[in-house]
Amino acid sequence: MVEVKNEEKERIASEDMGVQIENQDGIELRSFGTVKRWATKRSLWMVHYCTGCGGIELAPLMTSRYDMERFGMHPMVTPRQSDLLLITGYVNIKTLKRIIRTYEQMPDPKYVVAFGSCPINGGPYWDSHVTINHLDKYLPVDVYIAGCMPRPQSIVKAFDMLMDMIQSGKADGYLRYKKYYDRYKANQEKLFRKWW
Amino acid sequence: MSEDEFAKKMAEFPDSEVKVLRKGQIAMKVPAEKGHDAARFLKDMGFTHLVAIEYVDWIKDGEFELVYNLFSYEHKMRVFLKVRIPRDKPEYITFMDLWPIAMTHEREAHEMMGIVFKGNPNLTPFILEDWKSIPPMRKDFDARKFVKETYESIPFVEDEP
Ligand code: SF4
Repeated sequence: MVEVKNEEKERIASEDMGVQIENQDGIELRSFGTVKRWATKRSLWMVHYCTGCGGIELAPLMTSRYDMERFGMHPMVTPRQSDLLLITGYVNIKTLKRIIRTYEQMPDPKYVVAFGSCPINGGPYWDSHVTINHLDKYLPVDVYIAGCMPRPQSIVKAFDMLMDMIQSGKADGYLRYKKYYDRYKANQEKLFRKWW
Repeated sequence: MSEDEFAKKMAEFPDSEVKVLRKGQIAMKVPAEKGHDAARFLKDMGFTHLVAIEYVDWIKDGEFELVYNLFSYEHKMRVFLKVRIPRDKPEYITFMDLWPIAMTHEREAHEMMGIVFKGNPNLTPFILEDWKSIPPMRKDFDARKFVKETYESIPFVEDEP
């Protein structure tokens, strides 16, 4: 018999992790969320989209050297069938618009991993006139990888971390995006002259 | 033909200033109103490839310089055709009738330097589609100040106000 704390119940409910069954002991609810999260973390499909320098690091990652598919990850061509968005380097305003479009088309739950120092604070492009410096002012990020550019080992480590975070329910970027939607939108609109 | 022979031939073009830079590279300066004729003259000489249009901001002289980078596959030779236009009235004519690719190069020069090419129908922004400041490649554009005002002034979302 597993004991389910009240706050745990609330958290699972707030994350919309499956159907809610009102139960005396609540065990069904919990096990359902756990299974669902386990399934989610083992079948992350990423949008096949690269910005900046990092796309080149994905080639050894996807192919036999580091073989991302052993984690159940593989590239998917449409955002509507993906759960993972990789921001693989610097982002400029024009790209940001496309990234937001892509991100908003992805179904929940969705996760963002930012590669390298450029999305963290601008990196070598900190005073460039087109690169937005902090990605998290416009989009919630779940995992950052430091480095310029991070090696595939660190990327694998980040995926490992992301999986742990999904299992423990800490990867809540999409929930934060909903919660602070107005603020994210306000920040985005400061950069864009027109939406399309 | 050698560079010197080419330079001699180019010097026949009225008001031109020709200089051999190094092996296989010649620079030719003409007044702005003769630029189009000079381009046609060079094209007839065998410089059939417009590689790029470069733009230089000579802010102290109050002028923009357009450098047409031409190449000849026949002679394996490169010519830089240079014209200068005033900075306060940055207008020039399009070279699309000679090289259709000039449309793209002129579009870039328009976006980055704010030079208007008369006769070019496609001077819409390409990379800087949301640009709100003066063209960024001008010497009086302060990138640091722009970044401070545009990107660094935006607040972090999840810091509670
Ligand atoms: S962090 Fe370095 S490698 Fe990555 S996008 Fe920026 S400059 Fe390129």
